[in-house]
Amino acid sequence: MNGNDSPTMQEVATHFYDEAAELMKIDQGVRDQLYVPQRVLDVHFPVKMDDGSVKVFSGFRVHHNTVRGPAKGGLRYYPNLTLEQATGLAMLMTWKTAVVNLPFGGAKGGVLCDPKALSRDELERLTRRFTSEIILLIGPERDIPAPDLGTDEQVMAWIMDTYSMVKGYSVPAVVTGKPAVIGGSAGRRRAPGRGVVFVLRELADRIGLDLRGARVVVHGFGKVGVTVAYMLEHVLGSTVIAVCDRSGAIYNPNGFDIRELYAYKEETGSVVGYPQGEPITHEDMLALECDVLVPASIENIITADNVESIRARVIVEAANAPVTPAADKVLREKGIHIIPDILANSGGVIVSYFEWVQDLQSFFWTDEQVTQQLRKILVRAFDQTYTLAQEHNVPLRVAAYMLALSRVATAYKLRGFYP
Amino acid sequence: MTHRISSTAADAPLRRLRHRTGAFASGPNPFDVAIEQFESALPYLDLEADFIEFLRHADRAVIVNFPVVMDDGRVQVFDGFRVQHDVTLGPSHGGIRYHAGLTLSEVTAFAMWNTWKAALVDVPFGGAAGGVAVDPFALSDGELERLTRRYVMDILPNIGPEEDILSPDFNTNEQTMAWVMDTISMAKGYSVAAIATGKPEPLGGTVGWRGSIGLGLTYVTEEILTRLDMPLEGATVAVQGFGRVGSHAARYLWERGARIIAITDMGGGIYAPTGFDVEEVQRYAREHGSVAGFPRAETISDEDLLTMPVDILVLAALGNQIRADNAHLVQARVIVEGGPGVVTPRADRLLAAEKSDVMLIPDILAASGGLVVSYFEWVQDLQSFFWSQEEIERQLHKVLLRALDKTWAASERLEVPLRTAAYVCAIERVAQATLDRGIWP
Repeated sequence: MNGNDSPTMQEVATHFYDEAAELMKIDQGVRDQLYVPQRVLDVHFPVKMDDGSVKVFSGFRVHHNTVRGPAKGGLRYYPNLTLEQATGLAMLMTWKTAVVNLPFGGAKGGVLCDPKALSRDELERLTRRFTSEIILLIGPERDIPAPDLGTDEQVMAWIMDTYSMVKGYSVPAVVTGKPAVIGGSAGRRRAPGRGVVFVLRELADRIGLDLRGARVVVHGFGKVGVTVAYMLEHVLGSTVIAVCDRSGAIYNPNGFDIRELYAYKEETGSVVGYPQGEPITHEDMLALECDVLVPASIENIITADNVESIRARVIVEAANAPVTPAADKVLREKGIHIIPDILANSGGVIVSYFEWVQDLQSFFWTDEQVTQQLRKILVRAFDQTYTLAQEHNVPLRVAAYMLALSRVATAYKLRGFYP
Repeated sequence: MTHRISSTAADAPLRRLRHRTGAFASGPNPFDVAIEQFESALPYLDLEADFIEFLRHADRAVIVNFPVVMDDGRVQVFDGFRVQHDVTLGPSHGGIRYHAGLTLSEVTAFAMWNTWKAALVDVPFGGAAGGVAVDPFALSDGELERLTRRYVMDILPNIGPEEDILSPDFNTNEQTMAWVMDTISMAKGYSVAAIATGKPEPLGGTVGWRGSIGLGLTYVTEEILTRLDMPLEGATVAVQGFGRVGSHAARYLWERGARIIAITDMGGGIYAPTGFDVEEVQRYAREHGSVAGFPRAETISDEDLLTMPVDILVLAALGNQIRADNAHLVQARVIVEGGPGVVTPRADRLLAAEKSDVMLIPDILAASGGLVVSYFEWVQDLQSFFWSQEEIERQLHKVLLRALDKTWAASERLEVPLRTAAYVCAIERVAQATLDRGIWP
């Protein structure tokens, strides 16, 4: 994004790894193993296009680690997908599932394609063929894909159907993020945003920050950003003073009515031009003095180039890797609290876990039950992370990595190394 | 469509993740050689661009990184690969290699070669290859066994008698295959002999496996000499390499009356214009670890052997032996490749253009006896009924002569060298099978 400080997902996923591994005295062999993916499947497959021609696509599925349970992670349909990016994201999934203590390992995968350039039929054939190609790796006990960039509920439904056709009976637990009628979970859409707010509330309590009236800046106004902004403004009484999307940012020192702003965005396609806000640049927005800054868009938003301008008290990473390792170092010296991505945005994978659980038991929960269980898991994980951070006098991010790593290392120690 | 599997690109994504990568072997990359050979056949085939693109890539490649407990209690992490290039004609089949510099692109090249080999000899197999980046000589037997078992466990979802069959290759042997078979069998709960070929006989191995490449090479050479009106009886032969391929090839050619006048191996070379008693040389090499120092023989170098005036030059050592810089010095009338990439693509073109009187028998035909007898082992394991040595030899002869006939005819029809003809036949068969099966879904 900014200047030269644009680390890869891989570098981000391993950055705090060594510091955490050192503190937790993780065995070198386990460290080496966790540096690399346990399994990478690379596939090339033909798809019949609408005009009768045959086009060859490439895809892959990466399992970073499965020592704590089946692999879990999204499938991306994205033209510039690389193996390295998928490996980094798979690693993040291992840490995420470990820090909140879900019985999962980390995975990621996808197909190099532009889904917008394909017809619906082509997308369906591509999905079904790709599912067949990776079918030996996936399954409710092995690896459970989920939607990600460029994939949605419909793609998950096709994967579930293809897998079920091969097995001869319905297997809803093979993917999560399905439509509700075929085994999807209630509360999935809002889960990532809700999770962000739950952990923010826990931190606010610990550091004596009153969220009522707190000034909040939200970077990104997609599914997650909207949910976070809405819950903070509407439920907790915070003042959301600035938001942005790809087209621009808006500012109002008295706070926005998020419901109204959302309606405006739905109508016009952007928050830009909203009458109750004044336009402001993305850079100026990030530099606003505020209590809480929520990066909820893409990676590498706060980098070495703009970190000096940050004047927030708390940063909650609703997106994956919004703060580069270099920027993180500066924020750490400034004493800014950061709730790291692997903890803050794990709401999505937690509800994916609930969907899998409900599919396994064929008994379904209400939205309230999902939210209550989500909160329980996140409060527990936050508490454990915070305690560890206090004990070792390290930032929350290092503590979260320590917690995640020690869980994976303990599993190795108990299981031993086959044969 | 991006070309992610190329000689360098294939290895790039993971290289930066690795703590230890072995040195790469010198000389042209096997993947580049495999692609060049493949491409040399394309002008004679009517294939769509996207289908060609499909065949340039492996259908499936799995990379595994796995821990092994070493004898001193430390845990060491290793990289392993299994690549399935094409599975249209049947389950994929191919060797597993252990060497420190092993890369995904090298494995992909071997997988691709196995596809074409199986297609050429009409064996219902696709092509695969695999292995672990490890120096097996630096490990104890116990470590090697644990490494093999863990590697097999990690690629288990990809392999099986109906999916992908393993066989020995560089630095792996019958013992490795016995561990492979045992590990799978333990995981399944019953014996699965057909998962691997090149096994010891009591575990479902076949008779005649060990000498199969040398015997096949002899059958093919013998038949081609007949077509060239050259008697094998009394023909002079130089053999480079005296291991699993070369020693058997020398022995079978000698038994059929050829005069083996020069042999080299890693220890040195020997020459006797009247010809060797190959049985004696084999005994000597077993005792001394090399043919070097064999009594009543002159000492020669590899370079001497490659440029010697002989009827038949058998190359059964390493890749990249006949190159652009020495191809014009070759004086043999027939060159027989005992393994892939022995003659580089540039030397191939030089020989075709400037030495059209030299007959080159490509490895895809000459060295496919191993694959064919592996196939026979798999067949015997499936039926749990075992063949005699005579039966193996008879069937091998039949399969190879059929392949030779087909290749020879294509070579005459298209006026191309045997290698190009063989690739045309092989690719055509895979293409036809793909067309007949259609594109799923």
